[in-house]
Amino acid sequence: MDLLFQFLSNTGYYLADYRNVIMIVVGTVFLYLGTAKKYEPLLLVPIGFGILVGNVPFFKGFGLGIYESNSVLHYLYFGVTTGLYPSIVFLGLGAMTDFSSLLARPSLMLLGAAAQMGIFFTLLGALGLGFLPKEAASIAIIGGADGPTSIFLTAKLAPHLIGPIAIAAYSYMALIPVIQPPIMRLLTSRKERLIRMPELREVSQKERIIFPGIAVILCCFLAPASIPLLGTFFFGNLLKECGVTERLAQTARTAIIDTATILLGLTVGASTQGDVFLTPKSVGIFLLGAVAFSIATASGVIFGKIMNLFLKEKINPLLGAAGVSAVPGSAREVHLVGQSEDPENFLLMHAMACNSSGVIGSAICAGILWSFMIVL
Amino acid sequence: MYGFHAISTHNGWAMAIAGALIVFSGLVVLSTAISQIHRILLFFETKYASFRSNNKIQENDEPEEQPELALPTTFPTELDEIACLYQPLIKKIGETFYLSDLYKIAIENDFPHPHITLTAFRDAKILIPYGDGVFSWEPPNENTVNENE
Repeated sequence: MDLLFQFLSNTGYYLADYRNVIMIVVGTVFLYLGTAKKYEPLLLVPIGFGILVGNVPFFKGFGLGIYESNSVLHYLYFGVTTGLYPSIVFLGLGAMTDFSSLLARPSLMLLGAAAQMGIFFTLLGALGLGFLPKEAASIAIIGGADGPTSIFLTAKLAPHLIGPIAIAAYSYMALIPVIQPPIMRLLTSRKERLIRMPELREVSQKERIIFPGIAVILCCFLAPASIPLLGTFFFGNLLKECGVTERLAQTARTAIIDTATILLGLTVGASTQGDVFLTPKSVGIFLLGAVAFSIATASGVIFGKIMNLFLKEKINPLLGAAGVSAVPGSAREVHLVGQSEDPENFLLMHAMACNSSGVIGSAICAGILWSFMIVL
Repeated sequence: MYGFHAISTHNGWAMAIAGALIVFSGLVVLSTAISQIHRILLFFETKYASFRSNNKIQENDEPEEQPELALPTTFPTELDEIACLYQPLIKKIGETFYLSDLYKIAIENDFPHPHITLTAFRDAKILIPYGDGVFSWEPPNENTVNENE
């Protein structure tokens, strides 16, 4: 009988507290959004399931939890805390990205730069709310709307916040269709949304091969701390474009990125153990994340309108919203908002140009913030 | 510590302004650099082509005779067929070229109505714009061109 009672006292049913239950509900919502609503399923399904796994109550000291040094989950989590998975994800992302539209119209890169303003506004907001500088920098990067970049910087500056920051970043990425369109509509007139963009010129293969070389030198010389992200990103892109390493590019954009995404999603989800995750700080991070994402979207759109004051050939300011680096979600949303006004207005390729420059911009921002914090 | 006091204490204003300026200037430099790639490539391709033709002249000691372009007595009306006649001109001026160069060489070789023809080529996407007057040639149908050659 004692044995039975001892067994029962070791079960999750006995050890569970309300925080585990809340997090299991959150995980279930993620799974629902990913599977039923198809919001970023490749991210939300692994994270959602990871939240379920991470919130199964267990006896501490058995080497089971993600924060226990000898557990399997802890070893898998090593790729998150060292910034390994984000680098690998960027390799695959580079091997998937086509920079043709950006090369055809480089001025659209300015919209990608403008959308990064959300990061710096949020930095101020987080400092104002009492977060320490390293924590504030990690929270601010959510404004880049780039999950791997947020995880990378947080792992370097405030590892204790990886869970909430990663969950906030991926949640807002998944909620792009809900967050961005109202901001886009609020800040633009119908006339502006109807602006059509001219057809992009053809870009030669030589240009596409030269681009990653130039970009990695210019960006990484400016912010060397972004080498782990931009180095692999542009390397992946070179594999894709050079035409002689198709097999490597194919592996990078399929098996490698998929493996990294699975392990990243599962372990980040599992890191949200109720007792560690449900704190007032997490609530603050979620609020600031929403602010960061909204300001980033608004900055891009407003900068698009400012550019129009100086350009003879006007650009559609909706494109500014694609300056955040949520690829390809925000570009798709810009295209859909444009098409809702004029079904024959095709903004997707131009939006992808802003989107890919947003990826570069947010990685540079991560490098800059990391450099600032080294000095502190 | 909260509010503006916390921001000032942690040097927040300076970090935000400097960070924004750095990322902006970085992307402006990158966009300027990439906007020049096709121009630089065109410059080197032109130089390389002239270097090769100079070398050939030196090797042969005599300039290679350019075959005369024989235009048909009745100029075709189909755009694809006209494009075949323009093919030797494209070979002369290279893969990417200024539209004005193509126009000039067409005039020199007595092609009729080159202005209208080039406009039609642009509309038919046989001439692909690279910006700043630079174009590349996309033959309408490789097989047709080869057969005519």
